[in-house]
Amino acid sequence: MNQSAVLLEYVTRAYPGGVRAVDGVNLKIALGEWVALMGPSGSGKTTLLNLLDGLDRPTDGCVHVMGQNLLQLDVDEAATFRRENVGLIFQQFHLVSYLTAVENVMLAQYYHSMVDKQEALLALERVQLADRAHHLPSQLSGGEQQRVCIARALINDPKIILADEPTGNLDEDNADRVVKIFQRLHREGRTLVIATHDPDLGRLAQRIVCLRHGQIVEECSPDGSDAAPRATGAGASHDRDVMHVTAS
Amino acid sequence: MFFRMLIESFVRRRSRKLLAVAAVWIGLSLVIGLLALGLDVGDKLNREMRSFGANIQLQPAEAAVDVRVGGYELVAPGRTVYLDEADLPRLKQIFWRNNILAFAPRLTTQARLAGRSVPLVGTWFNHHVLLEDADPFVTGAAEVFPYWQARGAWPMNPESCLVGAALAQELDLGPGDRVELTTDQRSTSVRIVGVLTSGKDEDEAIVAPLSVVQRLAGLPGKVAEVQISALTTPENKLAERYGRDPQSLTPAEYERWVCTPYPGSVAADIQNAVPGSSARVVRRVAETQGAVLGRIDGLMLLLGIFVLIASTLSIMGVLSSAVLERRGEVALLQAVGAHRADVLRLFLTEAVAIGLAGGVLAALTGQVLGGWLLRVIFDSASEPHGVLLILAPLLGLLIAVAASVPPVWRTVHQQAARLLRGV
Repeated sequence: MNQSAVLLEYVTRAYPGGVRAVDGVNLKIALGEWVALMGPSGSGKTTLLNLLDGLDRPTDGCVHVMGQNLLQLDVDEAATFRRENVGLIFQQFHLVSYLTAVENVMLAQYYHSMVDKQEALLALERVQLADRAHHLPSQLSGGEQQRVCIARALINDPKIILADEPTGNLDEDNADRVVKIFQRLHREGRTLVIATHDPDLGRLAQRIVCLRHGQIVEECSPDGSDAAPRATGAGASHDRDVMHVTAS
Repeated sequence: MFFRMLIESFVRRRSRKLLAVAAVWIGLSLVIGLLALGLDVGDKLNREMRSFGANIQLQPAEAAVDVRVGGYELVAPGRTVYLDEADLPRLKQIFWRNNILAFAPRLTTQARLAGRSVPLVGTWFNHHVLLEDADPFVTGAAEVFPYWQARGAWPMNPESCLVGAALAQELDLGPGDRVELTTDQRSTSVRIVGVLTSGKDEDEAIVAPLSVVQRLAGLPGKVAEVQISALTTPENKLAERYGRDPQSLTPAEYERWVCTPYPGSVAADIQNAVPGSSARVVRRVAETQGAVLGRIDGLMLLLGIFVLIASTLSIMGVLSSAVLERRGEVALLQAVGAHRADVLRLFLTEAVAIGLAGGVLAALTGQVLGGWLLRVIFDSASEPHGVLLILAPLLGLLIAVAASVPPVWRTVHQQAARLLRGV
């Protein structure tokens, strides 16, 4: 049996006051698969991504990413896991304001292994930003900042890329550029989990997982051929909840 | 990359960093200024309080033993003992020589003037004490007794003298008059150059250069006592214990007593230096000085603590908010793989740099501030204090680190996911 990139079993993330941002989710994502997490605001997409990258911990259930049970890791071990395995792309870019584009990319290299400026410049070239490498974030457009964020996410050759609304703050041209980058990454065989409101971006994924009130309400293929309304909630059986979609 | 991040953080966020450095600088300048003033104020006040007169009196050892048996002195009349004037330069060769501010010998006899007997007091005026390996030390009655007022001039040669104000009025004498002083041994003619007001016995006497009185008294090179003005530290319990029973001190306590310029320890040092002498602390003066200095020291300490607390709180406020506004950056560093120790190291190194920069500036401006206060209050210049040049950066470093650790610690222990969402 092929190793899965992500395996969630009955995962719940509850906050004080009883709010369940993620509620009994079971999900399996295969290596190399491109999955889009879709749903209205507050449906739990970002929380689910944070559980996958180890920045947050579930209050119940198990989270396995690249074969690692994240619940077994403390904060620093989770940081080590992230730098070895995960590329993070944020809607708000989160670039360090006093570092240039190339320095922001080198930052991820620094915490991963060792800094290589030429490699960082190549990463920027791959996102068509070689000419903006020495600009500060404040001197870059939103689309350019997002591409720096992507270059930073890719610099350590991560096995899985988690992106939260990567085109949410971009105009159409810049969104197209980012989408093309994702398509290339997918062709290279990387696992992509992208939370998005953008139906155009969602349609490019191999599988769309729809969330509502923290639960998976539907999983389908973008062309609708494999549409499979689901039983949801913590009581749903694992076998029924987890859909296996092999990357093409 | 670590140093690149540090440097870029300072270069590209310089306004915020300058604000933080300025907070440390200004806050610590007040503290260092007060400390500089505190270090000088005791010395300056001590010098100011020389107006009280001598605080140590040196006499011949036998004369100092005031023992009477059946109403008779043990030292027989006619066997009066004296100190040698030639031994007095030793006062500037003792361990506490730098604390000896001034001294003046005194020899008193009776002389006949205008058919009546008047006290004749001999002392030094503007006397140059010759020292080995040092410039001559200029001292005399005017330095030891700042409250002596001479209308006219001070005697500058063996043919001049002062006349006490009461005697001058009684005999109708004044500057310019020449008088004939006669003793059993000799007589001499001296010119009055000033009228002395001391508020004490000298108002009834002729006060002449020591050599004149020695010659008239037939006691060349002899002095009856020496009045000494010395910089001393207020006596504390240790000094009081020594005063009550020197044997009660442990060797370590005795060492501390000897190495502290208490009036008693300075007096003991003087006594050991001058053969056949006995040094006595003039309690009235020493205790008044001690009481005033003790209160000033307490006041300065209290002020220093208040200013240090106020400055520390204000510095902590600025530095803490500087860290808190970078919580998103902390979370991002953790998101890209930084461990909590990595983040702490980065922020604490920044804090160390800010603290040291502010501290070094404060070491300089604080001393300038302290010097200015000293000039305004005491009309006196201050010397730079080396200890403050080290203390200020050290304090700056400690305060900056103490201010940065709690917010960074709290931030790295918060959930990075929430911080990235700006919650």
